[in-house]
Amino acid sequence: MKFLRLLIKNMLRNKRRTFLTVSSIAVSLFLVATLVTVLVQLQNPPETPDSALRLIVRHRVSLFNTLPISYRDKIAQVEGVEAVVGQMWFGGYWKDPSNFFANFSVNPDQLFEVYPDIQVPEDQKEAFKSQRTAALVGRNLAEQMGWKLGDRITLISNLFRFSPELTIRAIYEGGTDDDTTLYFHWDYFNEGMGGADILGTYTVRVASKELISPVSEEIDRVFRNSNPPTKTETERAFILGFVNMLGNIQFLISSICSVVVFTVILVAATTMAMAIRERGREIAILKALGFRTRLILSLLLSEAVLLAALAAFIGSAGAWAVFAISGFGAGFIPRLVVPGWVIAMCVAIGALVGLVSSGVPAWRASRITVVDAMRRIV
Amino acid sequence: MKIPFKYNLRSMWARRVGTLMTAAGVGLTVAIVIVMMAMVVGLTSAFVDSGHDNQLIVVRKGSLNEVNSYFGRDLYQTVRYLPGIDRDEEDQPLASPEIIVVINWPRASGEDTNVTMRGIGEKGFELRPEMKIVGGRRFEPGVREIIASRSISERFHGFQLGQQVQINDAPWKVVGIFDAGGTAYDSEIMSSYSDIAQEWERPIYSSILLRVDDPDDRQAIIKRIEDDENIQLQAVPQDEYFADQTSSAGPVVVLGTFVAVLMGVGACFAAMNMMYATIMSRVKEVATLRALGFKRRSILSSFLLESIVLTLLAGIVGGLMALPMNGITTGTANMGPNGSFAEVIFQFRISPPVLLAGLIFSLGVGIVGGFLPALRAARVRLVDALRD
Repeated sequence: MKFLRLLIKNMLRNKRRTFLTVSSIAVSLFLVATLVTVLVQLQNPPETPDSALRLIVRHRVSLFNTLPISYRDKIAQVEGVEAVVGQMWFGGYWKDPSNFFANFSVNPDQLFEVYPDIQVPEDQKEAFKSQRTAALVGRNLAEQMGWKLGDRITLISNLFRFSPELTIRAIYEGGTDDDTTLYFHWDYFNEGMGGADILGTYTVRVASKELISPVSEEIDRVFRNSNPPTKTETERAFILGFVNMLGNIQFLISSICSVVVFTVILVAATTMAMAIRERGREIAILKALGFRTRLILSLLLSEAVLLAALAAFIGSAGAWAVFAISGFGAGFIPRLVVPGWVIAMCVAIGALVGLVSSGVPAWRASRITVVDAMRRIV
Repeated sequence: MKIPFKYNLRSMWARRVGTLMTAAGVGLTVAIVIVMMAMVVGLTSAFVDSGHDNQLIVVRKGSLNEVNSYFGRDLYQTVRYLPGIDRDEEDQPLASPEIIVVINWPRASGEDTNVTMRGIGEKGFELRPEMKIVGGRRFEPGVREIIASRSISERFHGFQLGQQVQINDAPWKVVGIFDAGGTAYDSEIMSSYSDIAQEWERPIYSSILLRVDDPDDRQAIIKRIEDDENIQLQAVPQDEYFADQTSSAGPVVVLGTFVAVLMGVGACFAAMNMMYATIMSRVKEVATLRALGFKRRSILSSFLLESIVLTLLAGIVGGLMALPMNGITTGTANMGPNGSFAEVIFQFRISPPVLLAGLIFSLGVGIVGGFLPALRAARVRLVDALRD
């Protein structure tokens, strides 16, 4: 500790170099922190105590095939099932195809039974339930589109010829979808479709966590010999299914991160080597004064480690700050939040970069003999 | 007067370890940027190269994708006999009524995804001249035979030549492997229309593919279908249809740009650091150059040139490092606003323009990273330097 002042003085000796080194490491670890966070959040969709109790039942062959409406009652009869709601993906957009968001037609009563985490003021809830053409939208979706209660909107679907004219009657908060979905009445949809009597998926709420796997097995067993058979999985697995479709993101992101870290090591090694080489004379003085080789080596190494770890902290904590302030998010990641452990990991990577990059030059510099050292001073 | 370029080369050589390491660092950055671009280009061209401008795809009005399109079978007869559609030797219109279904299927790497399965009409092969059978044979209708693209058979379980697979609770046999020349059809499995419509109990069509060689006829057909309120269909030139699908490259473009910009900034700092170091250790030399009568401007351009040479070298190294990625196949789900949510298989394409863009990127790093240090060198004052 008593050498901390010396370390700091040394770091500040060439301020420009320190600044440039810190900047290049910080920028790179900003990137690493962001990419790791993206990966982590993709693989861990937001979960609440309520969402952990939900199962999703779909057609076994594909999500594109619909299920008969008669399945609802059969699912509701399975032991351990508390509530069921059928959902029909509408694939609608508002005004322009680029205004694209999740929208489903549902039975409103059943929706609230299955999704108690969706918070809606009582009066709005009633207004949504009682009007056939009412819509319930997430707060963030409403903000994004500039919708207010009472606004009338027409959804255009790229799946169905029916274009429902809806009135926004309720706004919800607290969903695991970051409040970006629109719900409207399935009865209205079905009427518009001339009584197609179809549903895409059923969302099931079970009584307790222990019932998740027995209930999902039982549902699939019930329909095994029906046409169509079903596939039941947890809400989390269902969302992860979409993430998996994106492809091998884990490999992509981890390769980018490895190359970035390797690049940082190369760049840092160049600077550390320069910094240490310039200091030959000083090291010689320390040697001549009787400082031990080990102490000199550890001084040089700790300087590099401290510098790189600091840079890594600036980069990764900077990533946290940037995303916390901007609230950036898209698609599967509604909000990018860099977790503390990612920052800690980046600092560790930084420390490692410092150690590896300064190892060889520091070792060489510290091993100079006293005779050589004296010769340099004089 | 210009400072000889040899001077720069020699001084780079004198600090070869540092030069090489900086070049390698910047080179890796360029390599990543190139690979990201190759991904975007590959994914985009999987769509863009797919269509022929002399062919039309007829889909349900309002559908942005064949997967979302469906219409009654009677409409096929209406469309097929529109005037202007090319005919084969037997005077039959070159039109293929098709059906698309999407099946949930595991990749060879384990994860489930969606695969497009297309039932085509008799003229389906003729309308896809780029599609060649490279193993086995074409399917026979009526006996649940399928052909799979080479990419599908390499990337998915079960779709290898001769395999029997269980799809929608019925056994299907893979009797052929095709290559569709890098087009979007390379991400599909195909069978006859009738087999799929029957197995899925869907007596509908998703789309009709037509050939119309005469551009005037093409416009006339598009207009006629558009204007006919009874049929509620639309005809889209095949190339435009596929070009509209490229929005699925969006997330890759965002990721690629983000990575490229940040790594570019990092590389600029690194190059700047290196250039400052090399200049500060050469202050005496620079002063000598000034004493010899070289203008500040020549010193500035000489050092800027040195920085550019360093990063261009890195650019070349980066390009070479990225090159082995060329042609590697990968896949993602088409999740754009027009998307089908089904797997699109594509190759990384490190084309000459991508390599050129990589070089321009490294040139940029050289200029940005080298300018301030070079300016510093040009400002070296004779007196200060000689006093040392």
